[in-house]
Amino acid sequence: MAAERVKVEIGARTLSLSNLEKVLWPRDGYTKGDLIRYYEAVAPWMVPHLRDRPLTLERYPNGIDGGSFFEKQMPKGMPDWVGRVTVHKPEGRRDKIDYVVCNDAPSLVYLANLAAMILHIWTSRVQTLDEPDFVLFDLDPGEACTLKTLATVALGVRDLLAGVGLPALVKTTGGYGAHVVVPLAPGYSYDAAKIFAEIVAHQIKGAFGPQVALERTIAKRSQKAVYFDYVQVGRGKTIVAPYSVRARDNAPVSMPLHWAEVEAYARKRGTTTALEEFAGFNIRTAIARLEKEGDLWSGRAWKKSRLEPALAKARKLWSDLQ
Amino acid sequence: MAHAIWSGAINFGLVTIPVKLFTAVKTDELSFNMLHGKDEGRIKYERVCSVDGKPVPWDEIVKGYEYEKGQYVVLTDEDFKKVNPEATQSVDILEFVELDKINPMYFDKPYYLEPSKQGRHAYALLRNALATSNRVAIARVVIRTKEYIAAVKPIGDALVLELMHWASEIVASDTLDLPGDEHLPEAEMKMAKMLIDTMSAEEFEPEKFTNKYHDELLAMIEARAAGKELPKAKKAPARAKVVNLMDVLAQSLEESKKQRASRTASSDKPAAKRGKKSAA
Repeated sequence: MAAERVKVEIGARTLSLSNLEKVLWPRDGYTKGDLIRYYEAVAPWMVPHLRDRPLTLERYPNGIDGGSFFEKQMPKGMPDWVGRVTVHKPEGRRDKIDYVVCNDAPSLVYLANLAAMILHIWTSRVQTLDEPDFVLFDLDPGEACTLKTLATVALGVRDLLAGVGLPALVKTTGGYGAHVVVPLAPGYSYDAAKIFAEIVAHQIKGAFGPQVALERTIAKRSQKAVYFDYVQVGRGKTIVAPYSVRARDNAPVSMPLHWAEVEAYARKRGTTTALEEFAGFNIRTAIARLEKEGDLWSGRAWKKSRLEPALAKARKLWSDLQ
Repeated sequence: MAHAIWSGAINFGLVTIPVKLFTAVKTDELSFNMLHGKDEGRIKYERVCSVDGKPVPWDEIVKGYEYEKGQYVVLTDEDFKKVNPEATQSVDILEFVELDKINPMYFDKPYYLEPSKQGRHAYALLRNALATSNRVAIARVVIRTKEYIAAVKPIGDALVLELMHWASEIVASDTLDLPGDEHLPEAEMKMAKMLIDTMSAEEFEPEKFTNKYHDELLAMIEARAAGKELPKAKKAPARAKVVNLMDVLAQSLEESKKQRASRTASSDKPAAKRGKKSAA
């Protein structure tokens, strides 16, 4: 590896960065320096979403075509100012993993320097690792699924949840799909979140029929359908963090959306795919959007819900559907 | 096409169009015979008198209408003949009406009408006139010994005679407990409309919908006839699953609540599974 290193000051920390000219996106020409600059710039909006959450790093040291690896165990040699948490496997097993926890901009830049391109977060925080602070509805469109269908299903999830008093938020995954989440008040188990996600999945399947698939086996799913992945809810399961970069051409990022934007997608004609449309949110465009719109997943928008009243309403409303 | 089940004429003003009637729908229903499970012997029916317990030959059987419990008015074949309508063999057109003015519930069973050679021109004339005026003919029809009301509709190149129910046969819905114009929140209406939009089809394509029960039953019969294993029983429908899951969720929420309560009671102790966070 080239020995040339650059010392930079990020906040109170001095970091020694390497290989800044290395091209990570060969068709776009973006370098590791570009990745680091993006993560440094996005830190004010992104760090609150990473704070106190165990991270899984997806690293691409040789660029998006060069192979990658997932890292749960904290890489060796991390400075002691980068956060971490030791997580024991449940049921008193002896195995443990020391996860990275990214609580500030210098840590985020440090991770970017490791070519940790994609950051996957837990849906709970270290203070209460057994209690998710949001329920995830992972909408994963098939290859032949249009943006319109994906958006329509996402709106269906929003409206279904709104019907039982649960406000939901949405973001692009940065890839093909969308994440719809319901922020939770403290005190709910992963079990409860998972069962709730499954109930919603069956309701949405009931409402949309062939446009939604619940089968885990890809071969059994229609490529035109949206796969509603409710199995992605659980302790130790992760999702791509808001504003995380993805290892695809254009260097797209996972971007929180206004529901009005999703409504506009749902009105769209033609066969545009989500992948094409969502690539518009990338490391070149994201910061300008954030400066204008702010973090759509923070403050008043992140309204924590209780599940009991929602379940009471769902029992009345959803039993009558179909 | 199969042989005609009736031949007669459409009477329309001074015009008479000789036609034949053909079946337009056939049922997919599978028919079964009753067998004796032990030896697969066919079950036979015997007409037995409830008074003397003896079998009754056909020529001693009459029809009775039970006008009161246990009280019968007996009618013979002669009696029926007296009130049977005249077998006029005709489709007498009474009036014309726009198709969408007819509640579809009135339609019962369609038949095709085919003109005989000398009727072809008048047939085409009636068909095209109906099509361009977007109307159907309402007619009185006698088939064998029964009188019907029917609609004559142009469908493609054919005139279709669709037997209709009499008004007295239609059951009114006002005895049911149905919601009226109650308050429907706009958001719910919006969702409902959106679902309709996304599930809307340009055309109704009946070929898309197949009779699963019939197909599976037939597959089962064929498999058994060939001595193969039967297809597996289907899973419970998703509907039941959701209701079931709601119970599971309620239980899970209840458990979390208890855990929360017990944790608050011993709040000084750190949770066992919690990892330690390093100092920043």
